Amino acid sequence: MGIKNLFSIIKDEAPGAVKESDIKNQFGCVRIPYTSHTSRSLQTKTTSSSMSIYSFLIAVRSDGQQLTNESGDTTSHLMGMFYRTLRMVDNGIKPLYVFDGKPPKLKSGELAKRFQRKAEANEGLEEAKETGTAEDVEKFSRRTVRVTREHNAECQQLLKLMGIPYIIAPTEAEAQCAVLARAGKVYAAASEDMDTLCFDSPILLRHLTFSEQRKEPIQEISVDKVLEGLGMERKQFVDLCILLGCDYVDPIPKVGPSTALKLIRDHGTLEKVVEWMKNDEKKKYVIPEDWPYEDARALFFEPDVRKADDPLCDFKWEKPDIEGLVKYLAVDKGFNEDRVRAGAARLEKGTKSGQQARLEGFFKPIPKTETEKTAHKRKLEEQNEAKKKRQKEEKKEKAKSKAKPRGTA
Amino acid sequence: MLEARLQQANVLKKTVDAIKDLVQDCNFDCNDSGIALQAMDNSHVALVSMLLKAETFQPYRCDRNIALGVNLVSLTKVLRAAQPDDVLTMKAEDAPDSLNILFESSENDRITEYDLKLMDIDQEHLGIPDTEYAATISMPSAEFKRICTDLMAMSESVTIEATKDGVKFSCTGDIGNGAVTLRNHQVEEKPKENIEIELTEPVSLTFSLKYLVNFCKAQALSDSVRICLSNEVPLLVEYLVSGQSYLRFYLAPKIGDEE
Repeated sequence: MGIKNLFSIIKDEAPGAVKESDIKNQFGCVRIPYTSHTSRSLQTKTTSSSMSIYSFLIAVRSDGQQLTNESGDTTSHLMGMFYRTLRMVDNGIKPLYVFDGKPPKLKSGELAKRFQRKAEANEGLEEAKETGTAEDVEKFSRRTVRVTREHNAECQQLLKLMGIPYIIAPTEAEAQCAVLARAGKVYAAASEDMDTLCFDSPILLRHLTFSEQRKEPIQEISVDKVLEGLGMERKQFVDLCILLGCDYVDPIPKVGPSTALKLIRDHGTLEKVVEWMKNDEKKKYVIPEDWPYEDARALFFEPDVRKADDPLCDFKWEKPDIEGLVKYLAVDKGFNEDRVRAGAARLEKGTKSGQQARLEGFFKPIPKTETEKTAHKRKLEEQNEAKKKRQKEEKKEKAKSKAKPRGTA
Repeated sequence: MLEARLQQANVLKKTVDAIKDLVQDCNFDCNDSGIALQAMDNSHVALVSMLLKAETFQPYRCDRNIALGVNLVSLTKVLRAAQPDDVLTMKAEDAPDSLNILFESSENDRITEYDLKLMDIDQEHLGIPDTEYAATISMPSAEFKRICTDLMAMSESVTIEATKDGVKFSCTGDIGNGAVTLRNHQVEEKPKENIEIELTEPVSLTFSLKYLVNFCKAQALSDSVRICLSNEVPLLVEYLVSGQSYLRFYLAPKIGDEE
């Protein structure tokens, strides 16, 4: 879910903001470790967050059976958590997990309720697609609630044994990640959810926790460069995201990425866009009845989070409790003991070796001069123009070749 | 318009060879004082800073500031065609699409000419502050390379510790630990083997050996290397190319939260 089509807009308008690289190049920084998002509880479930315990379950479930131990308890979330965390630690990343808390609550409370209802409905829909019968949907959603809560607790226990810190956000994990990243406590926030950018996390990493087999590069998106590329203030950017359709409000019918961008650019703020839509005689765009964009905006600007200097936000990487891990994973959960021990040894090595610092911590980038910036922008626009032209021509060609009756060519 | 003539193609060849594993694409910034290059590796841990001063070339002409966006792998392919002693000439227009490279053999009249396509690289420049380093070590470049490769066999990282007793490169690995200690060493007959250590305060820093070994590829450029250290700042490894032209590498330290 997250923000619809935001990524494609960023890619077109601010290509400099996105960098793709290998996991080896991502490591936590001097005192700037690295936050990774999270597992989400049911209420705020999105299928997009790949680190979530949820996605381990989904990933495995789509192959058929979940991984279970002898007594039939699901263990795939622990498996996923354990190995993907190891992979990060091996690559010098020090993760901090942030778990979702309650769903966001607004002063009105209405939005939150609606949002929750919608999430539940979506859930049902998805399951219905998978299984087919309404009964199953019901059963499954109930089971997920229970299971997910247990899973959260189990994952937290696992992290504790691994010596990896975690915190539970008051509400949205992404918002909490952003606060920590802003404060410089961590280097970046990792999530699949583009709305992390709306929460003003300086750097967003995507695809960090995809499994190795997928060979996906990691996308590093810098929010400052996004804003610069779009030529927008943060407020406008958030307005754009709301217009594109976020988790809290529905998108307006017929408003796609290019329209949204144009509307915000033409009108400046969402208020004016709404006003314009209402006054538009042709009534081309119909705003949904219940469209509390102000509340949604407030959620992005004043999310319910802990301040970065809150003592509850303190975290430390500790040595793994090897015997504890063996007991928990191998004895209780039926993992292979040798593998657990090998993993624990890797963890221990990870905590021992020093943290590689980055040069940015010492040398500051020289800001570009205005002329350089405009030159770059012009070049970019030219490229975009050329691309659009090419696409148009291709379309024309296609139309032409289609227009020809068959057999005459 | 840029025109730069290098008496020995080898200088550019070796420079590019030394940095091509750290950096893939980068801008050669040409202005009237020479050709400069600054680029970070992908993970932003190491930085290459090269300056080929105008005096290195004979003649050198650059009317306007030009950025030549070069893919170093492609440049290596072109430079491979040059003999070490060929005379190399680089030419480019003011807003170039390509870089013209010409090799003239010093032995016969063979002339080789290449046009290398350029690209737009949107690069960030870092401001490197002038630092008074606490410790400066000059030593034969081959010696530095030997230390790095030897210790690489033991561990991923090396701790460089400079005290009034000398400089100690030490590492700890799975199989054990090792250390090399150097002291001031000057012999008049063999100035090339001199080791000079200047120290204002003791320093101890840890670095990734993988990068140091990579820097040592520049050994071919110069007989000696200068290593500058200060606590909590990046390490500087400098090879002098000729005159005031240099190839510098900066490496961010590893911050140990070892307990």
